[in-house]
Amino acid sequence: MKISAAPNPMNKENPNPGDARLGALLRASRPSPSLPPRFQEGVWRRIEDAAAPVKPESWLDTLAVLALRPRFAFATVAALVLAGVLLGAYDGTRVARQDAQARYLAAVAPNPLR
Amino acid sequence: MSRSLVIVLGALALGAVVFAGSYYASQRACVAGMARSADDLSWLRDEFHLSDAEMARIRQLHEGYLPQCAKMCALLAAKKAEVQAALVNGTNVTAETQKELTELGELRAQCQGQMLRHFIAVSQAMPPEQGRRYLDEMQRLTLGFHEEIEQSMTPAAGHEHHQP
Repeated sequence: MKISAAPNPMNKENPNPGDARLGALLRASRPSPSLPPRFQEGVWRRIEDAAAPVKPESWLDTLAVLALRPRFAFATVAALVLAGVLLGAYDGTRVARQDAQARYLAAVAPNPLR
Repeated sequence: MSRSLVIVLGALALGAVVFAGSYYASQRACVAGMARSADDLSWLRDEFHLSDAEMARIRQLHEGYLPQCAKMCALLAAKKAEVQAALVNGTNVTAETQKELTELGELRAQCQGQMLRHFIAVSQAMPPEQGRRYLDEMQRLTLGFHEEIEQSMTPAAGHEHHQP
């Protein structure tokens, strides 16, 4: 069984020619205000400003922007870990050598003999 | 506080923690790793680049020297106890205390002589260049302390005995 659809008020193909006249009448009754001077140019400038990357204002902002870049952050962490490991190994070797020397000295020359 | 400052300070703190953590972990691992495989003579092997044959000879000398050293140390400790006992109640240096001090000095000199003879024997078990370096190093480490004190007591160092 076929049921006929209810009339759609949003349908553009309005069969009633009286509605077109009504629309024209309504548009005429609401005059659009004139745009300010150089309106279009202002709109484009604001679009361009929004699309452009934010320029940091001071060296602190520059550093903050840099610190938040993932590639820079990972590289810095990797460099710090590497430097820490190398320096720690160097210092650990020196400390271990001093410990070994103290151990030998304690064996062959106890404190009362020195 | 501005947002940028917070970010920069946070990044610096994080960086410091990362660096300190890796430094500390690496240092501890290195010290622990080297201490695990070390004995009393491992410093000699590493510092003077000794071969297994040289190390075997030095180990033999070392093991022969240790009982003599322990015996002398025991004698020294006993003599020091005697000197301490003589000084505890006395208000001046008696002839007996002076005698004890002289004996302590002689005993210490005997110990140092024995120690130096051992160092010379060990140095002769090494290649000549390393042996010289070992002997210099051991004299600096064992007798250098007394030399520093004696040098600090010379008039040139500003220490003068004024006549009353």
